[in-house]
Amino acid sequence: MSTIERSSRQSPQLRPPKATLSARKRFSEENVAKVLFVVPAAVFLLLFFGYPVVKNITMSMQEYTTRTFFTGEAPWVGFQNYVAVFGSNLFVPALANTALFTIGSIAGQFVIGLALASFFRRRFPLSNFLRSMLLLPWLLPLIVGSATWRSILDQDSGILNRFLEALGLIQEPIPWLTSPAVALTAVIIVNIWVGIPFNVTILYGGLQDIPEELYEAAALDGATGWKAFRHITWPSLRPVVSVVLVLGVVYTIKVLDIILGLTNGGPANATQTLAVRSYQKSFIDFDFGVGAAYSNILIVISLLFALIYLRANRRAVDE
Amino acid sequence: MNNKRRVTVILAMAAIAPLTFTACAGGGAAPASGGDVKSLTVLDSYNNDPDKGILQASIDKCAAKVGVTIERTTVPGKDRMQTVLQRSSSKTLPDVLMLDNPEVKDVAATGALSPLSDYKVDMSAFAGNSLDAVTQDGQVYGLPLPADTLGLFYNADVLAAAGITPPKTWDELKAAAAKLTTGDQYGLAFSAAATYEGAWQFLPFMWTNGGDETKLDSPEVKGALQLYVDLVQSGSASKSVINWNQADVKDQFVAGKAAMMINGPWQIPALAKVPGVKWNTVQIPVNKPGQTPTAPLGGMVWTVPRTGDKAKQAKAAEFVACTGTEDSQMALGKARNTVPTQNGLHQKYVSEVPTMAAFTKQVEDARSRTGKLGKDWPKAATTIYTAVQLALTGGASVDEAFSKAAAG
Amino acid sequence: MLFPIYWMINASLQPSGNTLTAGIFPTNPSFAGYETAISQQGKNLITSLVVSAGTVVFSLAIAAPAAYALAQFRFRWINAALLAILISQMIPGIVIANALYAAYNDLGLLNSIPGLILADATHAIPFAILILRAFMIGIPPSLVEAARVDGAGLVRAFFSIVLPISRNSIITAGLFSFLFSWSDFLFALTLTTTQDVRPVTLGIYQYLGSEVSNWSAVMATAVLSSLPAIVLLLIAQKYIAAGATGGAVK
Repeated sequence: MSTIERSSRQSPQLRPPKATLSARKRFSEENVAKVLFVVPAAVFLLLFFGYPVVKNITMSMQEYTTRTFFTGEAPWVGFQNYVAVFGSNLFVPALANTALFTIGSIAGQFVIGLALASFFRRRFPLSNFLRSMLLLPWLLPLIVGSATWRSILDQDSGILNRFLEALGLIQEPIPWLTSPAVALTAVIIVNIWVGIPFNVTILYGGLQDIPEELYEAAALDGATGWKAFRHITWPSLRPVVSVVLVLGVVYTIKVLDIILGLTNGGPANATQTLAVRSYQKSFIDFDFGVGAAYSNILIVISLLFALIYLRANRRAVDE
Repeated sequence: MNNKRRVTVILAMAAIAPLTFTACAGGGAAPASGGDVKSLTVLDSYNNDPDKGILQASIDKCAAKVGVTIERTTVPGKDRMQTVLQRSSSKTLPDVLMLDNPEVKDVAATGALSPLSDYKVDMSAFAGNSLDAVTQDGQVYGLPLPADTLGLFYNADVLAAAGITPPKTWDELKAAAAKLTTGDQYGLAFSAAATYEGAWQFLPFMWTNGGDETKLDSPEVKGALQLYVDLVQSGSASKSVINWNQADVKDQFVAGKAAMMINGPWQIPALAKVPGVKWNTVQIPVNKPGQTPTAPLGGMVWTVPRTGDKAKQAKAAEFVACTGTEDSQMALGKARNTVPTQNGLHQKYVSEVPTMAAFTKQVEDARSRTGKLGKDWPKAATTIYTAVQLALTGGASVDEAFSKAAAG
Repeated sequence: MLFPIYWMINASLQPSGNTLTAGIFPTNPSFAGYETAISQQGKNLITSLVVSAGTVVFSLAIAAPAAYALAQFRFRWINAALLAILISQMIPGIVIANALYAAYNDLGLLNSIPGLILADATHAIPFAILILRAFMIGIPPSLVEAARVDGAGLVRAFFSIVLPISRNSIITAGLFSFLFSWSDFLFALTLTTTQDVRPVTLGIYQYLGSEVSNWSAVMATAVLSSLPAIVLLLIAQKYIAAGATGGAVK
């Protein structure tokens, strides 16, 4: 810490006087160079996302059906699709499920992820190998992952219930995927499993970047364990934590494959989320306008979290 | 650094941008080729073996007959419609397109398909029920491949050991299922998943009992739902039926965890691979004597999309017509355990494939899902599987299930 | 954590491809699934590796400078840019895939490896920018300024100072770019129409029909295809470890 401060305080003095002489020219050239750092990314984003965003917004205000794909005709209906979404009996349950699913998944992934990342920070034999193995869930196609989980969670012959019964923890098999009361929990558990590698790896990377000297210095001041975590780890990790959380929310809120693979929104709509509704409206009912309305509502919700992230971010920069 | 060059590159990239946008918005013009047609493109969803290879043989035969080479693309079944829609909007539909029969009316209504009468394809030999699903506004838009449907499979050894004859009525079905439920073996397995598969499996009971998709809260439809509820609540069928697709049902049957199952003839190759399981099939049981077992008619259909190239469309129709000939239908029917869609061929078919006797009768009496509702069928199907799920999980009584599901 | 993986391997060794009647250990293993997978998926595996590696290189090349700029330069519109990047992550993949299909069809990019790389980069680039930026915020500006004092241009300083320091985070971002691309199914399905260019995630569908599926081959393909990827990841990790210890560049 002290080294950093010293060097940044010193640097202005070291700047050669030449810089001030040709400041004007230097300034503009420098600005061009700076802008060039961003231009490729900006062009890419514009090319690949500009059109889809506009399309999704206009689509949500059209009667966009199978017919549209062939004829190109999509009658303008204004906000009628949104009215249909908000008026649906499934909207409120789906919204609640989305909230529970997102909060549950993020909390689980983050806490377990941070714990594992801290655990891996102490090097031990095979730690690198084990950490790589943790990435395995991401290397497997989700269709395989969800099929495996479906067999594990099967009520009658699933290994999880057999295991819990053998331990004497339960008397009756738990209807993981077949009871509307339990299914959402089961889906959250699977999604936590899928999300842990993401959290571990990025948080671990963040932990690695905290200089060891900081801990050594703190230890001299008597700060170890929880105290060290609160005063050193957490503040240093904050930019990484906030990006992990905001991306986590953005990704989790639109999770589709896992739910479709495990329950398809059932039993009795108990695992319907907004993302599942959007998919089903578009690709089962072929009512693409309403489907787009659902996905835009999802985007607006994600946007709220993005704004919170940016606020936190600005504070961090100002500090 | 060499900033100038960089700027040029970026300007060039910026110049391309609007081009890409217009490319996104519009579609290419349809290719116009006159004269001899040498090749056709085919899109189908038999993406896995053995079906993929079996269909290839069938395609090759007809391609040789009409003198074209075929460029074939396969997509997984569940992504078929998505692909069709993409191809529609970019005007890149194939010359020959395979659709599932409930999809034909919807796609035909968009104007994407050309009626087969334009090419004088003779459809008179085809069974009426197989044409219901492919007829829109009086025009036939597709030629049905050999069809499938649902029936009751039973484990012959297990039933014989328990002294049970295959059930013919619902009461017999319930009694047999109850008696066959022992240890970790359930009496009956079926799919009541929250998908179209779940709706499709409910139809045989609903239709056999006189129910109709245009009036889902009738006593006949509720009677069929009551049967499901009775089977699950008595423990004769697993509570997991609401999460099983038809492949899961087959796995349960093969693993000896179900003595009977509702399933279709496409499972026969998989059953044949397990020598320990001796199985047989009968038609769907009826509620009251005198009812006709009525199951849904399943199966794929060849269509000719409007690609704008008249010569190719005509050749494609020639190809499609070839798949409707006796040779082609019998060969495909035998290889895939599906029933030729011309009633005139049934006697010959059953004599050559005796295991398909029950299914052939079931196909003759089968109904098409979109016959009455057309493009509103998906909505009814959603209501059906949701109602089934509600009733089986206790989310609604049998009486309220359909009205509650329809409100969603 | 790893039990489901084990259970999948167990399933892949069952003749039926499912674990309905399986014990804890595959006592009577069948390798039929593996034989099928090895004989049919080799080419797809290479396609997957090439596309994923290409995505990593392309995404990092575009994302790293942008991330650095957003982390260190004092632009006024940084928040707007970040918001735009975040929004790009919220758009459903299928919407992008549909738009790309039409564009690719006209540009002749269907069934091509560069086409898939560009498409997969739509996921990887925004992600990599955000992740790299979060790490690069911590780089002390003095380090770069010191190099500038020695006469290095902004670009050279970026290559000689910023990139080496950020090695950890670049590998993390690269890792996920790889994983995103590796696990992509949607773009592979949408943007390929023939067998020529076909990643393994799509190849696996040749065992998954709408009616009949060969689950032991599916599971075996999943197991086998994760092997080269995990080896790659292990090498990358070794590199991180080496970078971390030797990484006291300052």
